[in-house]
Amino acid sequence: MILKATNVSIRYGAHCALDGFSLGFSPAEIVALIGPNGSGKSTALHALAGLTRPEVGEVVLDGREMRQWKRRNLAKRLSFLPQAPYAPDDMSVEQLVRQGRFAHLGPFQGFRSEDRMAVQWALESTGLEELADRGLKELSGGERQRAWIAAALAQESGILILDEPTSFLDIGHQVEILELISRLSRERGVTVVIAIHDLNHAMAIADRIALLSAGRLVFEGSPAALSTTGLLETTFNVKGKFIRSDAADAPYLQIRVQR
Amino acid sequence: MTFGTPTSGRLGRGLVAPLTLSAALLIAAVFLGVVDLPAADILAVLAGRGSDDADLVIGTIRIPRILTGILAGAHFAVAGLLLQAITRNPLADPTILGISQGATLTVTIFLLFAVYGSGADAHTLYSLPLHWLPLVACAGGMLTGLLVYYLAMRNRLSVLRLTLSGIAIGATLHALAMGLIAGWGSSRFEIVMQWLSGSLYARSWEHVVFLLPFTFAAAVALPLLHRSIDMLRFEEDVARSFGLSYRLHFSLVLLTACGLAASAVGTVGPLIFVGLVVPHLAHFLAGRSFGMVMPLTVVLGASLVTGADLAGRLLGQAEEIPIGVITALTGAPVLLFLLRRRS
Repeated sequence: MILKATNVSIRYGAHCALDGFSLGFSPAEIVALIGPNGSGKSTALHALAGLTRPEVGEVVLDGREMRQWKRRNLAKRLSFLPQAPYAPDDMSVEQLVRQGRFAHLGPFQGFRSEDRMAVQWALESTGLEELADRGLKELSGGERQRAWIAAALAQESGILILDEPTSFLDIGHQVEILELISRLSRERGVTVVIAIHDLNHAMAIADRIALLSAGRLVFEGSPAALSTTGLLETTFNVKGKFIRSDAADAPYLQIRVQR
Repeated sequence: MTFGTPTSGRLGRGLVAPLTLSAALLIAAVFLGVVDLPAADILAVLAGRGSDDADLVIGTIRIPRILTGILAGAHFAVAGLLLQAITRNPLADPTILGISQGATLTVTIFLLFAVYGSGADAHTLYSLPLHWLPLVACAGGMLTGLLVYYLAMRNRLSVLRLTLSGIAIGATLHALAMGLIAGWGSSRFEIVMQWLSGSLYARSWEHVVFLLPFTFAAAVALPLLHRSIDMLRFEEDVARSFGLSYRLHFSLVLLTACGLAASAVGTVGPLIFVGLVVPHLAHFLAGRSFGMVMPLTVVLGASLVTGADLAGRLLGQAEEIPIGVITALTGAPVLLFLLRRRS
């Protein structure tokens, strides 16, 4: 376990956003966090990224408690991409991606060749080389999202935490991002923690699924194991059936919509 | 493929026009004035062998006045740039932290006490301890800025709360100052009004010396902070995930802005629009070369104030038009033009 949350509880005023959350992550694995709106996915990701301090419990990265990490060192080890982040609108794609090198540079240090290579690699991986000089304002939603992912990639951290990176994207771009994530884990050994709404995408991409409901972790295990529990139907209050044409394929939940 | 870093050549070229303009303004400001001196006399003063009269006009009156304008203009403009960046609010300027209003109130109170405390009448204005004004105003502005900062930092840093507390505190202090001035009445409040509209009238070497430590402190701090300033333009979560110690750097940049603004307000009064317009103009001219924004802001801020002062001196002759009036009158159309270009 390189990253581990133990018994983490976080409240916002009287509302308990996360209640006794425990989950650990191994190198190169992809874990999808799913759950209804307001179930605590974002809060859990913020705690794992060291952005929100738990009142109870602890988050440990590489054997050290999160609050002992310096921001700069943490950013070299772990990158986090929030939902719908704001960027100054006069920035170009490449300028945004270059910000990912912030933690690697001293105040007077110029861009070294390793920094340029990281930026180049991030742009290539997200298919943005052609758009590098384009202003962020001029991009489509999908392109902008890819630019943000590229900025997170340029950090070259071993752990990538993504909060709903595929929301607001058309299906083609959603698949593109999911494929990028599996490639990162397979080829670079990056650990990915991703909050995602599409259950089938979650089951298709993840080694492990964590299901949250009202701030509590109600299931943790493989997609195949999840499909036998019936928890998806009860948690999301839907009816459907699992389809699995081949044992090698990920389970697929076909939801029934009444009309 | 380029990597967005402007080469030093590009940096230099973008600065040529503004630097030429400011040099021209500087020369004009030295050579033109209410007292008409022949150019030959002025050159003699600059060469160190001018007549006593010319020495007085140029060395004791004009040059310190111009230097004060250059420094104060740069202070206002850079403070505005920093505040706009870290509050992510394009309308931010030194008034948004209540700095100008705090300085105004302390100046008003100080003059009230000075006038009544010394038992002087309206005709002895010149015996007032006016040399204390910069220090008093600067302290008032600084204190207000720190109060607003404290309110925003309680519990958890919030940029929105910083802006809202700044506006609320600023409005309250402004109302108090206006109430005092209205209640005070009499001819003495003229001096407060004069201070309020911002002026370089009778600014001397003392004022230059007062501003310089702040200029030097910022000149050391800002290059060290330049990457953090770019990073502070993002939201807190994003900046922190990129590796910025957000609270620390936010505080350092805010403190720098506060010192620059308060010292400038202290010496020349609240010059509205300089801190607001100049950063926008600099962004407009720099485009995506972010490295250019800060140098352009410095040069344009200094030029705007020097130019406005020169215009005020020449247009009004002996009855100088207050510089704040000129900066507001010229600044507003520039801002409107930039807004049109943006949309």
